[in-house]
Amino acid sequence: MGPLEGLVYGFSVALTPTNLFACFLGVLVGTIVGILPGIGPVGAMALLLPSTFALQPATALIMLAGIYYGSMYGGSTTSILVNVPGEAASVVTAIDGYQMTKNGRAGAALAVAAVGSFVAGSIGVVGIVLASSWLADQALRFGPPEYFALTLAGLALLSRLSGGSVIHSFIMVAIGLALGTVGMDTISAIRRFTFGSTQLSQGIELVPVIMGLYGVAEVLLIAESGLKKAHIASVRLRELLPTRTEWKQSGWPIARGSVVGFFTGLIPGPAAVLSTFISYTLERKVSKTPERFGKGAIEGVAGPEAANNGATAGAMVPLLSLGIPFSPATAILLGALIITGIQPGPLLISQRPEVFWGVVASMYIGNIFLLILNLPLVGVFVSVLRLPQHILATLVLLLCLVGAYSLNNSQLDLWVLVAFGTFGYGLRKLAIDPSPLVVALVLGPLMEKTLRQALFMERGNLLAVVGRPLTLTLLLLGALALAAPLLARLVLNRRPSRASLPTAAP
Amino acid sequence: MIERLVALVVLAASGVYLAAALPLPRGTAARPGPGFFPLAVGVFGATVALVWVVATFRRAPMGLGVATIPAEARWRVISTATVLVGFCALLPWTGYPLAAFLFASLVLRGLGARWTAALAIGLVSAVASYYFFGVLLEVPMPPGLFLG
Repeated sequence: MGPLEGLVYGFSVALTPTNLFACFLGVLVGTIVGILPGIGPVGAMALLLPSTFALQPATALIMLAGIYYGSMYGGSTTSILVNVPGEAASVVTAIDGYQMTKNGRAGAALAVAAVGSFVAGSIGVVGIVLASSWLADQALRFGPPEYFALTLAGLALLSRLSGGSVIHSFIMVAIGLALGTVGMDTISAIRRFTFGSTQLSQGIELVPVIMGLYGVAEVLLIAESGLKKAHIASVRLRELLPTRTEWKQSGWPIARGSVVGFFTGLIPGPAAVLSTFISYTLERKVSKTPERFGKGAIEGVAGPEAANNGATAGAMVPLLSLGIPFSPATAILLGALIITGIQPGPLLISQRPEVFWGVVASMYIGNIFLLILNLPLVGVFVSVLRLPQHILATLVLLLCLVGAYSLNNSQLDLWVLVAFGTFGYGLRKLAIDPSPLVVALVLGPLMEKTLRQALFMERGNLLAVVGRPLTLTLLLLGALALAAPLLARLVLNRRPSRASLPTAAP
Repeated sequence: MIERLVALVVLAASGVYLAAALPLPRGTAARPGPGFFPLAVGVFGATVALVWVVATFRRAPMGLGVATIPAEARWRVISTATVLVGFCALLPWTGYPLAAFLFASLVLRGLGARWTAALAIGLVSAVASYYFFGVLLEVPMPPGLFLG
């Protein structure tokens, strides 16, 4: 099936009443969680994952993906109106967005953010179609050594890009990998680290870990910060129209942001957040009037908002074409695929075209829903912020508890939720990002399986495993990512000494 | 200081993991057993944890974490976490509706709601969530000793 034929088929899947409703529900929930500071897209996806068990795989994925990219739209609303980013990818938007609100241009900022997100989302869909098809074709040639190298390089890159120190990221990776080894070994059926518990032999569930690290930990942070009331600026519908100059100023930043975001999304790590910083820096650099940035420059809203939506599309590529998630949000999507009985990987496109093309087409429809939802109904969404925080926090906790319990009707999942909730809170206090833990927990079993298969294939010769051209390239990329700051420091240290040579010469 | 303590705990935990991984059959290089990967992970974890511990001892202690949290805020966090633990412990005995009611009321009260509001919202959220999940979505919630 070619890309165009596939897209047409995808639209026939996505436009069924059930899938349309799932898409609408996903983007609606995504917008709300994007607006609300506290529960982010990952927590919301984890919360809704159990409710997708009874759904068809394509429907489940359409809904969860809707939450993922929908949250990027919602996040901008509170950044612009209240200076409170609903999620991390909207922090940069707040810099100029809130200044625009102070200057009386809140409506224009919201409109440009929504249109920029829509354009980036639409470009992203095209990117997914082209990149996923190509990558999946290439990946058919991948053997266990290549998959092992890909997971290892992915974790190395993620550790470098997660923010904070590499040691912290490595600790998170080690914990995630160790948690992934708990339970019955799939090859020998030997129980590992179960301490006699039958429940533990099934392994540690991903969902309570994510709900704990992102949902419960956030509520504990809300509990710590106390109850705050937001001062919300009101926006009228007629104020939403940007001026001609504002449209002109936003065009190229949106285009650049879309491309930057999509390519950043392909890289393991907090792509959505990273893409906004890259886009903002880029816009300031190319601007003829960089002094306007920070004072309400519309380019500072248009670029980053397009970038974070482009990044969510880019992040779908490794998931849909390789079956490998490089972020906690895509890890949940992978979990949903596995739970609904689908084998993720390069064969997904050919074996389950309704899932791949249905999800891709639904992203386009979801972006239209979001445009409709986010502009005329902006006032309604902002009023969500008026919900008292203590009620919201209690409801989130109850949902986390029910969600974790409903996975296997297991008391163990509840304890895992609480343990990782308090652990996640501690990590936030130490400024440690938990995402490498989540990704390592998902990739760990795949990494182990492919390493063992690769060694078996090459009769225990590790050099033969790492010596294959693609494996070596991937491993070198991972090593380069880790060594990059050291190399940069070496280069910078050398420069002054070169510069000093002419003066030292007689 | 807190980070130093956490680093030491992580080092101890990685030591425990490594010790538990050692008895697992490692197999050979050509046929790696179920203990092969955990051993590699254990060595990696212990090495990184050791580097972290050394790093925290080499630099001046930072004012991170619990010490900087005001007493009132610390109480709110501890009370919420305690109620969470209480919910997990009570659930098999009291069943979902009662445990959820107690949980929601106590969390709300701990976060600053008045007793009457906390009890009323607790009751509504317990009944509503039981009806939605237990009855509509047919999630088998534990009924506990009273309903079971």
